[in-house]
Amino acid sequence: MSKDYAYDAIIIGAGPAGIACAYTLAKNGKSTLVIERGNTPGSKNVTGGRLYTYALDMVDEGLAAEAALERKVTHEQIIILDGNRSISIDYHDPSFNSECKSPQSYTILRAVFDEWFANKAVELGATVACGIKVDGLIEKNGQVVGVVAGEDNIYAGIVIAADGVNSLIAQKAGLISDIKPHAVGVGVKEVILLPSVTIESRFNLKKDEGASCLMLGCTEGIHGGGFLYTNRESISLGCVFVVDELAGHGRQVHDIFQELKMHPTIYPLIEGGETVEYGAHLVSEAGYREFPKKPYKDGLLVIGDSAGFVISTGYSLRGIDLAMVSGIAAARAIIAEKDPVRVGPVYMNELEKNLLMPTMKAVDGYYDILEIPRIYSSYPKLAAGLFEKLFTVDGKVPRSMKKEIRGLIKQNGLSAWQLIKDGFRGVKSI
Amino acid sequence: MPGIFVYADTVEACASLISAAYGSARGVCALTFDEKRADELGGYGADKVFLLKGDNPMQESYAKAIAALLAKEGPEVFLVGSSTTGREIAAKVAMYLDCGLVGDISSLAFEGGKTITTRYIYGGAAIQTEVLDGYAVVTVPKGKFEARKYEGKTSDVITLKVESDNRVTLKETIPLEKDSKDLGAANIVVCIGMGFDKKEDMKIAEDLGRVLGATIGCTRGIVEERHWLPAGSYIGISGTTVKPSMYISLGVSGQIQHVVGIRDSKIIVAVNSNANAPIFMAADYGIVGDMYEIIPLLTEAIRDVKV
Amino acid sequence: MAKIIACYKWVTDEADIRINSEGSIDFSKAKGKISDYDKNAIEAAMQAAQSIGASAVALTFGTAKAKLSLKDALTRGPAESFWVCSESAEKADGAATAKVLAEAVKKIGDYRLIICAEGASDTYARQVGPRIAARLDLPCITSVRGFEIQGDVITATRKLDNRTEVVKAGLPALISVLPEVNEAPIPGLKAVLDAGKKRSTEFKLQDIGLTDADVAPRTEVRDFKAYIMNRKNIIISADTNADKVKELVANLRKDGVI
Ligand SMILES: Cc1cc2nc3c(=O)[nH]c(=O)nc-3n(C[C@H](O)[C@H](O)[C@H](O)COP(=O)(O)OP(=O)(O)OC[C@H]3O[C@@H](n4cnc5c(N)ncnc54)[C@H](O)[C@@H]3O)c2cc1C
Ligand SMILES: Cc1cc2nc3c(=O)[nH]c(=O)nc-3n(C[C@H](O)[C@H](O)[C@H](O)COP(=O)(O)OP(=O)(O)OC[C@H]3O[C@@H](n4cnc5c(N)ncnc54)[C@H](O)[C@@H]3O)c2cc1C
Repeated sequence: MSKDYAYDAIIIGAGPAGIACAYTLAKNGKSTLVIERGNTPGSKNVTGGRLYTYALDMVDEGLAAEAALERKVTHEQIIILDGNRSISIDYHDPSFNSECKSPQSYTILRAVFDEWFANKAVELGATVACGIKVDGLIEKNGQVVGVVAGEDNIYAGIVIAADGVNSLIAQKAGLISDIKPHAVGVGVKEVILLPSVTIESRFNLKKDEGASCLMLGCTEGIHGGGFLYTNRESISLGCVFVVDELAGHGRQVHDIFQELKMHPTIYPLIEGGETVEYGAHLVSEAGYREFPKKPYKDGLLVIGDSAGFVISTGYSLRGIDLAMVSGIAAARAIIAEKDPVRVGPVYMNELEKNLLMPTMKAVDGYYDILEIPRIYSSYPKLAAGLFEKLFTVDGKVPRSMKKEIRGLIKQNGLSAWQLIKDGFRGVKSI
Repeated sequence: MPGIFVYADTVEACASLISAAYGSARGVCALTFDEKRADELGGYGADKVFLLKGDNPMQESYAKAIAALLAKEGPEVFLVGSSTTGREIAAKVAMYLDCGLVGDISSLAFEGGKTITTRYIYGGAAIQTEVLDGYAVVTVPKGKFEARKYEGKTSDVITLKVESDNRVTLKETIPLEKDSKDLGAANIVVCIGMGFDKKEDMKIAEDLGRVLGATIGCTRGIVEERHWLPAGSYIGISGTTVKPSMYISLGVSGQIQHVVGIRDSKIIVAVNSNANAPIFMAADYGIVGDMYEIIPLLTEAIRDVKV
Repeated sequence: MAKIIACYKWVTDEADIRINSEGSIDFSKAKGKISDYDKNAIEAAMQAAQSIGASAVALTFGTAKAKLSLKDALTRGPAESFWVCSESAEKADGAATAKVLAEAVKKIGDYRLIICAEGASDTYARQVGPRIAARLDLPCITSVRGFEIQGDVITATRKLDNRTEVVKAGLPALISVLPEVNEAPIPGLKAVLDAGKKRSTEFKLQDIGLTDADVAPRTEVRDFKAYIMNRKNIIISADTNADKVKELVANLRKDGVI
C-alpha cells in the first residue's frame, strides 16, 4: 500500500546538526524528512552536555528561552589532577554573558534536548522518522537523488548527511576517508543521578545555576581530558582519549575512567549517586586541518560532526553549537539555490558568512599546544608539585622558589629547554 | 452453600487450593471433572465436591456452566489453579459474574470478609496488594500451597451434568517432551543463559547438573531464539517458576522477567563474567568470571565433596 | 472490508522505572511503549488479514498518554487505529478493560477475528482476551502459538502446561497469542511514513455506550511497592577461579544445600 515518497530534502540523522537544518528548511516551507536510527532523537547520543546557546537563537530568535535545558553554566572550573593531588580553578560569574539575552551556555541531556528540538521541527511541518537506519545513497549520473533504508528507496531534491562523527554517508559518497586514529578520540560518559539540593551544595550553586568542569591529568598521559557537567538532577561525568595513543597504552578506557571516578577530588562530588546511563562515542579531534576539502557533492551536503565541525581545545569542547550553525548554513544554501548541483559552493559561502569557517581556522593553532604530550602528564605533575611546596609549612627554613621549581622540573623528567619550547609553541599558536 | 469454591484441572492442584482455602474458616467446595478421584478431595478438606460431567474434553468449554453454578451457589471467592485452562475459565467466569479477577497471586490471605492478594507486576519489579471485597476470582500458581490430608474427613460428591460450549473443538493433543515437566518441582536447578556460545557448550552445564542431581532450566532466549532446549524449560514470568533449595545460574544476566521466576529459591548462585550483571543483586553467592573456566572447576569441587 | 482487530496496550516501559531506596517507585522518567507481546498480536493480525484478504486494524484503551501509541501501532502495518480515550484507563482492571474493548469492537463492527496478546508486559494479568470473548459471546482460543485460517475456520495450536493442542473454531472468534506466534518485524522507513497518513479514530466512553461507573475497577489496589530482594549478595573475591570455587562450595555446604 506504500505510496512513492519524494521530499525537497532528506536529512540523515536527528542530532543537533540535522534538526537545526530541518527546522530552518521546514520553516521556509520545504518538505523535509529527517531519518534517525535511534528509537527517539537523542537516544543514541553520547555527549558531554554543554550547549552554547547562541546557536539556538541563531536557528530561531528566542528558541533558547524555551529550550529543554538543564542548568545555566555560571561556574567554569578547571581541575588539574596528579595522583591523589589536584588543583582546582573556579571562575564564577553569576551573570555570565549578561549583555546577551540568554546566558552563554547551559548543560543539557541530549535524550531530552534532541527530542524537544526534533518536536519543534515537526511542529513546523518536518517529518521525523525514527528507528530507521539509512544504509546508503541513491545516485544517478554522479548526483545523489535519494537514500536507501532497508528495502525502501526514498527520493529527494537534496540529501544532507548529518549522521555524526565517522560519517558512513560521507564515506560512501567519497567525501571523507575512513577514520584516522590520531584524529579521533573516544569519549566515555556516565550520567549519575543525585538530588538537586545535593548538586547545588556540592558545587556551591544557586538553583538553576550549573558548573562545567574540565579535568587534565586524568588520562594517564594520553592526549585527552575529563569533563563534568551538572544537570538538574544528575551529573554527566566522562573523559575523552585519542584513539591511537590508547591502543599503545594497553589499558582499557573503562578502567581509566573508573579510576577517575574514584579520585579523591572527584569521588566526593558524585558520592551516593547512581549511574543510570553509560555510553561511549567517538569525538573528532581533527580540527580545521583535517576538514574535508569539499563537504558536499552534487545533491549532497555534509554538516555537523559528519563534516568535522568540532573544536576540542582541552578547556572547552564545542560540537553541538557548531553542528547547529552548519545545519543552518546548509538550509540557507538550499533555500537560496534550487539547483542541487550548484548548492555546494553556496553552502561553503554560508559557512563563511555565519563565521563557522573563520572560527575553525582561528582555533586551529590550539591543536599545536594540545599535541604536546607533556600537557597530559608532566605538567599536571609539575603544577601539583609546585602547589604542594607552596602550601607546605614544616617549620624548616623554606628553600627559594626558584630552586624548588628547578628541582621539580628535573624530577618530572622535563628540561628547561622543553619548557621554553612548549611555551613558545603555545604563544605562537594563540 | 457460600464459602470458597475451588477448581483446578488436576486433583493435586485442586487439593492444594482446598488447603489454601481451608484456613479461612469458611466452607470449601471443590469443582472437578475427575470422576475417578473426585471422592479423594474430601480428604483434603473439601466440605462438598461437585463432580461436573460433560462430553467435551476441553474443560475450558464449561466456563459458562461453571459461572451459572457459582451464580446459583453464591460463593465469596472462586480460587482457580493457574494453568492455561484454569486461567481461561477464571477470566470468563469473572466476566460472566462481572467481578474482579486477580491472576497468578504470590500470596493470599483472608481477613474478615475480605480477600487480600499480592502479585508481581512490571515483570516482577514491583508487588501489588489488592483487596477483594466479596465476590471475586483468584488464580493461584501451581505448587503455591501444600496439600494437606485430614484423617477421616470425607465429603459428599454431587454429580452435576453441565453444558459445554462446543464452538471450539479439539483436533489433536501432543504431549510435551518429558524432561521439561518437573522443573517447577526440582530440588536443584542449573540454569543455562545466553552467555553460552554454542549448543555443544551446554555439556559443561549438564555435567555440573549431573553431579548435583539437578534439573536443567534456561532463560527464554535459549528456547525461543536458539531452540536448544524444549519449550517448558525456561524460567521466568512467561515460563516456569522454580523453588529449589539451590538455583545456579550460568551466563544469565538476570533481567527482571527471568529473576521473578527464581525468587522462591532458597539459595541463589550466579556465575557471570560481567561484575555489573543484575543477577548478582538477586544472588546469595556470586562469582565474577568466565564460566567456561569456572563450571568445570565447580563440577570437580562438588564431585569431591560428594564422595 | 471485513476486519481483524488487534488489541494492544500502551504501557510504562519497565526498563525506565526507578526503585527508590525506601521501596517506592519513581515513574517520572519512564516512557511509554506498546506492550511487547502486543507487537506480536498486531503482527498476527497483519498476517491473518493478508491470508484472508481482510483489513487489520488496531484498537487500544488508554489515557491521553496513549495518543503517542497510535502512530507506533500504525507503523506496524494496520490500516487504521481506534483509541478509546479515558482517564479511567489509568486504574482500569481486567474487568473494565475488557468491557471497553468489547464495546469498542462492536462499534467498529464487521470483524472476523479479534487478536489479543496473552497478557500485557506491565501487569501480565492474562485475562482480557477471554473476558472480551465472554462478553461478546465469541469462541475463544487462548495461549496460541500458531494459527491458520481457511475460509471461515481458524485452526490454532495452543501451548498448555504439559501438552500442545490443535483446536478449531468458526469465525468470528477471539484468540490470545503467545509471543512465539511470530516474530514482529521492525518497521521500515516506508511503513513509518505510511503511518503518518493513516486514519485514527478516537472514541470517548459515551461513544461506545459506557459510563464511568461501568469501568470502575472491581478490585481495590491497597498498596504498590518495589520488590526488594533480600539476599546475601556475597561476591566471592578470591584470587584464582579455583579458590573462588572452593570458597563457594564451602559456603554451600555450610548452608546445607550440597
Ligand atoms: C564524550 C563527548 C562529550 C562531548 N561534549 C560536548 C559538549 O559538552 N559540548 C558540545 O558542544 N559538544 C560536545 N561533544 C561533541 C558533540 O556531541 C557533537 O559535536 C555533536 O553531537 C554533533 O552533532 P551532529 O548532529 O553532527 O551529530 P550527532 O549528534 O552525532 O547526531 C548524529 C545522528 O545521526 C544518527 N545516525 C547516524 N548514522 C545514521 C544512519 N546511517 N541512519 C540514520 N541515522 C543515523 C545518529 O543516531 C545520531 O542521532 C561531545 C562529544 C562526546 C563524544
Ligand atoms: C515481556 C517479557 C517477558 C519475558 N519473559 C521472560 C521469561 O519468562 N524468562 C526469561 O528468561 N526471559 C524473559 N524475558 C527476556 C528477558 O528480559 C531477558 O532478555 C532474558 O532473560 C535474558 O537472558 P540471558 O540472561 O540468558 O541473556 P543475556 O541477557 O544475553 O545475558 C547473557 C549473560 O551471560 C554473560 N556471559 C557471557 N559470556 C560469559 C562467560 N564466558 N562467562 C560468564 N558469563 C558470561 C554476560 O555477561 C551476560 O550477562 C522476557 C522479556 C520480556 C520483554
